[in-house]
Amino acid sequence: MIWKHVRGVLVALHLFVVTFMALPSASGGMNRRAWADPTVQTEFAAWSARLRSYGVDVTPPELEETMWSFATSYEGVRNAVLKPFRPYLRITGTSQSWKMFVAPHRFPSRMEIDIDRGAGFETVFVERSGTYDWMRTWFDHDRMRSVVFRYGWPHYGAARKEFANWVAERAAQDFPGATRVRVSFLSYRTPSPDEVRAGIRPVENRELVEIRKLANERPPP
Amino acid sequence: MIRRAWTAWVEALSARESATSLALLRIGMGVGVLLNVGSVVAHRLVPMVWLQPEDGGLRTLDHGPWLVALLGGPSPEVVWPLILGALVGGALLVVGIGGRWASVLALVCTVNVVNINGHAGGSYDELLTNGLWINVLGSGHRTLSVTARLSTGTWWPAARVPAFPRWLAIWQLVLMYCATGLQKLSIHWVPGGDASALYYIMQQPTWQRVDMRFVAWVYPLTQGGTIVTWFYEVLSPLWLLALVWAAWPERAGRCGRIANRIGLRWWFFGIGIVLHVLIFVTMEVGPFTFLSLAYYVAAVHPWEWDELREAPASVRATA
Repeated sequence: MIWKHVRGVLVALHLFVVTFMALPSASGGMNRRAWADPTVQTEFAAWSARLRSYGVDVTPPELEETMWSFATSYEGVRNAVLKPFRPYLRITGTSQSWKMFVAPHRFPSRMEIDIDRGAGFETVFVERSGTYDWMRTWFDHDRMRSVVFRYGWPHYGAARKEFANWVAERAAQDFPGATRVRVSFLSYRTPSPDEVRAGIRPVENRELVEIRKLANERPPP
Repeated sequence: MIRRAWTAWVEALSARESATSLALLRIGMGVGVLLNVGSVVAHRLVPMVWLQPEDGGLRTLDHGPWLVALLGGPSPEVVWPLILGALVGGALLVVGIGGRWASVLALVCTVNVVNINGHAGGSYDELLTNGLWINVLGSGHRTLSVTARLSTGTWWPAARVPAFPRWLAIWQLVLMYCATGLQKLSIHWVPGGDASALYYIMQQPTWQRVDMRFVAWVYPLTQGGTIVTWFYEVLSPLWLLALVWAAWPERAGRCGRIANRIGLRWWFFGIGIVLHVLIFVTMEVGPFTFLSLAYYVAAVHPWEWDELREAPASVRATA
C-alpha cells in the first residue's frame, strides 16, 4: 500500500521535472555573439516591426535588450528549480531539449575545405557537393552535420580551431603533395523563392577561416 | 478535494492493461539503439565524435557523462565497451531477452555514449534515452518476446502489465511536440507572418539530402506545411486528451464525445506520420523520424493492437 503512494510521488515528480525542463528556454543560445548573427538580428527587426504595428513602440535594439534581460532572469530561475533534479535527469537520460528548427537560418554557411599544392588553394570539399566530396561519407552523417553546423557560428572558435587541426591531420595523409589546408565557411543570405525562380545566386562571403601548414602534421623524413 | 485527487492518481497508476503497446515500444527503442549507435560504428566515426584528439577525436572532450567520468574519461578502453553494451542491450530489447535488465543495459550504455560529445548529437538522442527509461519502468518484455515464448509457449501471450509507463510515453511524445512548437517563435513560423519557415529550413545545407532549390516553385505548399506543422505541434496536447477520451469514452464530456466521433486522435496520428515521412524524405536528421514513429505505437491502445491477434481466430471461426 505504501509502495503505491511512493510510486505516485515518484511518477508525479518525473512528470513535473520533464515538463518543466521542456518549457521554452534559451539555454545554449545565451551568447551575445550568437545574438549578433544576422539571422537573429533579422528576427528582432521583424518582431520589432510587428510589435510597432500593434502599437508597441520598440526598436530592434530595445527589444533585444528586453529579451536578453528577461532570458537571463528566466534561465536563472529555471536552473535553480532544475538543479536538484540534474542527477536524476543525467542518470536516467530524461533531459528535455526540444529546440528543433525554432527559426530558419536565413544566413547559413556552407563549409569548404581547400588544399594548397603550391599553386594556390583548390577545393576538395564543399558541404552537400557531389563534386568536391573528400570525406563526404563522414561529413554526410547526421552527427558530423551537427558538428559542422555548430562550427559555422562565430562563438565556437576554440572547437573550430581543433576541428581544423583534425582536418589538417587527415589532409596530410590523403594529399601527400599538399603544403597547406584551409577550412572556411561560406556564409550567404538564402535567396527568397522569387530570387531562386529568377535564377539569382547568393553572394557568398568566406568567413571563420582556419589555415594549417601540413608539414607540421607529417613525421620528419 | 486534494485527498480525493491523490487517491484517484494513485489508483490510476495501479491500472493494468495488455502489454502489447509497451512491447512494441520496447522493440522500437531496441531498433533505435541499433540505428543510433550502430550507424556511428558502421561509418567508422567513433574516434572522431566520441574519443579525444590523441585517439582521432575532433576536439578535446571533458570527463564525459557520469559513468564515462567514473571510469576515467572517454578513452577507447572505456568507450568501446560501452558501445558494445549499448548494441547488445539494443539487440536484447528487440528480441525480448533479459527483461528490465536489458533496458537498464541499453539505457546506461547509450546515455553515456551519446552524451560524450555535446557538439555531435541531436534531439533524437534524448528521444531515445527517454524511451529507454520508460522501458526500464515498463514491462514490455512480457509479450512479443523470446522470454514470453519460452515461458508461455506463444510469442504473443495476453500479458497484463502496469499501464502508466505507456501513458508516460504518450506524455513524452506530446511534450516533445508541444515544447518544440512553443519555441518556434520565429516570425517565419508564427501565424500572421509569411509562413516561410519550412522553405528556408529546406534551403539550409546542413540538413539537406539533396539540393532543395526546386521547392521555390512549390513555395505555397511549403507555406501550407509551415502552418500545419506549427499548429500540429502547439495543439498536440489535444492528442493526449483525445487518447484519454478514447480510452474512457464513458467519462468523456461533450468535447470528448465530439473528439471520439470525428476520430481526433487518428487525425493527429495520421498528420504526424505524414510530417515525419516528409522530414525523412527531404532532410537527414538521423534516426529522429524512426524514433518519433516508434513512440506512436504507444498511442494505439493495446486492446486495439490485440484485435490484430484475435483476427485470425475469428476468421477461422467464420470459415
